[in-house]
Amino acid sequence: MVLELARPRPIWQIMFSTHHTDVGLLYLVFSLLAMFVGGAMAIALRIELFAPGIQLIEDSMTYNRLFTAHGTTMIFLFLLPSAAAVGNYLVPIMVRYKDMAYPKLNAIAFWMIPPAAALVWLGMADFGWYANPPYSVISAPAPAAEMWIFGLKVLGVSSILSSINFVVTILKCKHPDLSLGKVPLLAWSFLTSSIIVLAAMPTFAAALLMLLTDRLGVSGFFNPAMGGDPIAYSHLFWFTFHPEVYVLVIPAIGMMYEIIPRFSRRPIFSHSSGVAAFIILALVSFASWAHHMFATGMSFTEKTVFMVGTLAAVPASAMHVFNFLATMWNGRIKFATPMMFAVGGIALFFAAGAGGVVNTAMPLDFITHDSYWVVGHFHLFVFGTIAFGTIGFVYYLFPYITGRMYNEKWGVVHFILAFVGACITFFTQHILGLFGMPRRIYDYPEIDSWISMNALISVGAMIILVGMVIFLGNMIYSMAKGKPANLEDPFGLGGKYYYPFAQRNPQHGEGGY
Amino acid sequence: MSKIFHLSIIIATLFIIPTISLAFAAETAGEYIDRKAEIWNLFFRMMTVAFVVGGVIAGTMVWQVWRFRESNPNSKPTEYEEKGEF
Repeated sequence: MVLELARPRPIWQIMFSTHHTDVGLLYLVFSLLAMFVGGAMAIALRIELFAPGIQLIEDSMTYNRLFTAHGTTMIFLFLLPSAAAVGNYLVPIMVRYKDMAYPKLNAIAFWMIPPAAALVWLGMADFGWYANPPYSVISAPAPAAEMWIFGLKVLGVSSILSSINFVVTILKCKHPDLSLGKVPLLAWSFLTSSIIVLAAMPTFAAALLMLLTDRLGVSGFFNPAMGGDPIAYSHLFWFTFHPEVYVLVIPAIGMMYEIIPRFSRRPIFSHSSGVAAFIILALVSFASWAHHMFATGMSFTEKTVFMVGTLAAVPASAMHVFNFLATMWNGRIKFATPMMFAVGGIALFFAAGAGGVVNTAMPLDFITHDSYWVVGHFHLFVFGTIAFGTIGFVYYLFPYITGRMYNEKWGVVHFILAFVGACITFFTQHILGLFGMPRRIYDYPEIDSWISMNALISVGAMIILVGMVIFLGNMIYSMAKGKPANLEDPFGLGGKYYYPFAQRNPQHGEGGY
Repeated sequence: MSKIFHLSIIIATLFIIPTISLAFAAETAGEYIDRKAEIWNLFFRMMTVAFVVGGVIAGTMVWQVWRFRESNPNSKPTEYEEKGEF
């Protein structure tokens, strides 16, 4: 894969390749494209909310379409494919196998994503990424809603195919000398997150089918006018998508497990506790979905069960954080850009987790429910933890993919802007929620505290935007003009790496990469 | 062992029992207003604990970053560097 620029190939060779590094590259390029598309939508939303009244977006319907596409894009088209990119690059190498277990299936799983993205982006549904009934059943305009439903169906099938491939590659194709106990934690993270996908996704597939038939008028599962129950959809949705949070965060933690020991120049403090924490997180991810619905009139017993189930994730998350801290202890840490993003990601992960404890404590949930607190909380997770881990890993993989080094100084500037921007934006959103501002609103009354905090949040988002533009410029410039990387040790750390370039790609012909 | 037991009792008294009673209150209309003040009280107590714990963890992390950075004059090669085992 490496040195594509030094030994260029026709682009169709990469597009129609089934080799895991080529599919990984396709996943990576597409996910970064989706990140910038989704990010542009987020900036439009923040400009609109900068002050009360109309700023940029003329009507609430357009605003709703944009925030639906933003959420769907970031979760399904950026975060999931970017994790798949990293898994494709490294999992076969880590389990010492020549490729993914089913290479063609792997390529098919990727090529299902662009058509699904087209359905989502061209349709522009307006019911939020939850598609909450009864609005999504009764009033959401067609064909946007149908396009979103079909798009998500296709993305769900893609996730399942990809997950089957990871599970089989890790469990059945690993080298006979490599016991599961010695499989690196990054590969473990893909094993556990793939199992979660396989267990959770069919439920959402069923919910989407029921939603579609409800919209067609042939059923009334979620339509109160036909005796249906909209809350049932919420249960089905969150049964899939609370575990999905862990599907996103577990690979990001796995990426940190790859970066932190490498840049601390010490082995991971406890491999077994990392594995145990992954397994515990995978299990408890299915014991917490209903904490999203404490305000829907659930019984006390149900709420207690799901509160305890959610809090069970705290010890496992703490195991990861302490594992990272113990690994860094007594190390000789090189703060290159990947390490900065990893350490910044841990700090924000801890902060996001603390906010999550408030959400799940039953009485406190009534304060924060449906407010901007929740927006701040999950953005701190998905951007501050998952995107930080992913972006750090993109920097880490960059020399292996291109054969060149990125500009370190601009990488550091990117990190500082991303970290400061994330703190300003998402911490302020928490406070704004406590001041009573509801989420999912297009405009808001002229309350002084709301105006000042919304302006501050928008400024924070702009800081993140500047950082992302620098990131893009750095990647493009360094691909063409960056210094050639020492592929044996691009970061000057010593130690043993997993070398993506060592994996022979048949399309590179004689002489390897 | 006894310290852990006592600590568990304190945590239970501080958080779990009020949480349960307040959750019941959320379903009892007559107690709603008074309990709302208590909920905010619990919120601030939990936030105090969260900020203290968060401060300790964040402080540890900042200190680690400062102390174990490569450029620190006291920094020395780790025992694993020569063998390349990391």
